[in-house]
Amino acid sequence: MAELLLRPFAAIGNLTLAGLESMGRAWRLFASAAVSIRNTDVWMPLLLPQMARVGVASVPIALFIATFTGIVMALQASYSLTGTIPSYFVGTLVGKTMILELGPVLTGLVLAGRVGANISAELGTMRVTEQVDALETLAYDPLAYLVVPRLLAGIVMFPVVVLLAISIGIAAGWFTALQLLEMSSAEFVKGLRIYYAPWDVWFAVIKSLSFGAVVTGTGCYCGLQTEGGAEGVGRSATRAVVAACMIILCLDAFWAAVLL
Amino acid sequence: MERRREVLVGLVVVLGIAAGVFGSIWLKGGWRGGQTELRTAATSVGALVRGAVVKFRGVTVGSVGSIEVLPSGEAVMVEMRVLEELVIPANAAVLLAPESMFGEWQAEILDRGEFGLPPFLDYPEEGVLPGAALPDFSRLTATFDQIARNLTTISDRVEVAFTEETAMNLKGVIDNVSVVSDLLSEIIAQQTERFEDLAEGVDESAQELGAAARAARISFEHFDSLLLGADAEAMMADASAGLRNLRELTEDVGSSLGDMRSAAQRVDATFARVEGLLTALETPDGSFGRLLGDPALADGALEVLAEFRALLADIKENPGRYVTFSIF
Repeated sequence: MAELLLRPFAAIGNLTLAGLESMGRAWRLFASAAVSIRNTDVWMPLLLPQMARVGVASVPIALFIATFTGIVMALQASYSLTGTIPSYFVGTLVGKTMILELGPVLTGLVLAGRVGANISAELGTMRVTEQVDALETLAYDPLAYLVVPRLLAGIVMFPVVVLLAISIGIAAGWFTALQLLEMSSAEFVKGLRIYYAPWDVWFAVIKSLSFGAVVTGTGCYCGLQTEGGAEGVGRSATRAVVAACMIILCLDAFWAAVLL
Repeated sequence: MERRREVLVGLVVVLGIAAGVFGSIWLKGGWRGGQTELRTAATSVGALVRGAVVKFRGVTVGSVGSIEVLPSGEAVMVEMRVLEELVIPANAAVLLAPESMFGEWQAEILDRGEFGLPPFLDYPEEGVLPGAALPDFSRLTATFDQIARNLTTISDRVEVAFTEETAMNLKGVIDNVSVVSDLLSEIIAQQTERFEDLAEGVDESAQELGAAARAARISFEHFDSLLLGADAEAMMADASAGLRNLRELTEDVGSSLGDMRSAAQRVDATFARVEGLLTALETPDGSFGRLLGDPALADGALEVLAEFRALLADIKENPGRYVTFSIF
C-alpha cells in the first residue's frame, strides 16, 4: 500500500533527476564544444559544407512555408478586418506577424524537423557504429569535428534563412492582397510601413540565431547520446525534434518577454 | 563541387542579408533622395514614434528620426529628416497629430499663420521650429468625462442646498422685498404731498406778509408826514427799522425755505418792536395819541397790527408749516 502511494513521487523524482542529468550533460557538451572552437583547423574545413546542408538546403522548404504563410495571413487578415478598419491594416498585420513571429518560429520549427532530425540521425548512427569512438582513437577531437561546425553553421545560417523567409512571406502576402483582395500596392505598403520599426528585424534575427543554436545543438546532443542500434537512432532523432520544438517555443516566449 | 557549394552558400548569405538590410531600409521609408534635418520642440508628442511620417501640405516629405525629452524636462525635441529641396514657410510650425483614427501619428509642417490655434512652444534655440501636439482621442474623452463628473457634482450640491425650505425662504424674502417696496412708495408719495402742502403754505404766507408789508408801508407813510417831535423821530426810526426787518423777512421767506426758522425769529423780533411801537402809539398822553384821532389812520394801523398778530400766532402755532425737515 505504501509502495503504491510512493510510486508517483518516485516517478516525478526520476523525471526530475533525468531532466537535470540531461541538462547537465548538454551544458557539458556545449561547454566542451566552446572549448573545441580553438581547434579551427579541425572544424573550419567542415563549416562550409555544413552551412550548405543546414542553410542552403533548407531554403526551399523555408520559402515554401513562408509563401503559404504570407498568403494565408493576408486572406485571414482581410477576413478578420472588416467594418471600419481600413484595408491597409492587412499589410500591417502581414508585415508585423511575419517579422516578429511566424517567420522565425515557423522556420525554426520546420528546420528543427529537417535539420535537427538529420543531425541527430547522422551523429546517432556514427555513435552506434562506433565511428565517434574511432575518431577519439585517432586523436581527433570529436566535438570540433562533429559538433562545432554544425553548431556554427546553424547559428550563421538560420538568421539568413529566416530573413529570406520573412521577405518571401511578405511578398506573398502583398501579391495576394493585390490579386485577391482588391487592394492597391500603395495601401499594402502604407500598412507595412505604418508600424514598422527597425528593431523588429533585429528581434527576428536574435530569435532565429538562438533557434539555430537550439536546433543544431539539440540534434548534436541527442545524436551523441544515441544507444541501441538503429532503433536508438530513430528514437534519438524523434527526441531531438521534439526537444528542439519545445525549446524553440519556450525561447520564443522568453525573447518576447525580454526584448519587446 | 566544392566551388558550387561555396557559391551557393555565399549567394544565400548575401541574399538573406540583403533582404534584411534593404527590406528594413525600404520599410523605413528610405531612398527619398537628399535629406536635411529639421527640429521642433513641443511640450508633448502624443503617440508620435520614430519613423512616423512628416507631411507638408498633405504630402509625405520625410520621417521622424528621433524623439528625446530635453534634460531640463520642459519639452520634447523631435528630429525630422525631410527632403533637402523642401522650402518651408518663414513662420513654419510643426503640428503633431493623429494621422487617422487608428493610433498612428504624424508630424505636419504648416504655416503658423494659417493654423494658430494650438499653443505652439517657442523654444529659445536657433533653428528649432515651434511645435504643438493635439490631444488624442483618449485625452479628449478623459476631459469630457471629467467635465461630466464636475457637472454631476455641481448638480448634486445644488440638489442638496436648494431644498423646499430654501425655496420657501426665498419666496418669503421676495415677498418682504415687495412689501418694503410698497411702503417706500407710500412714504415717498406722502413726502411729496407734504412738500406740495408746505410749498403752498409758504406761498400763501409770503403773499400775506407782502400784503401786510404794503399796508404797513402805507400806514408809516402817513406817520412820516405827521411826526414832528424828537420822540416821534425815534419812534419813526424804530418803525423804519421794523419795516426793513419785515421787508427782509418777506424776501427771505419767499426765496428760501431753509431760512424759515431764522426768518420766523426775525419776524418775532420785528413784531415785538412793532407791537411796542403800536402800544406807544395807542398811549393817549403821547404825541401819537393825538394823531390817532384820525379814524382812517387808526383803522389802518389796527388792521396791520391784527394781521401781524395773526401771522405771528400762526407761525408760533404751526412752525412745521413754514419750516420742515425730512429725510426724503
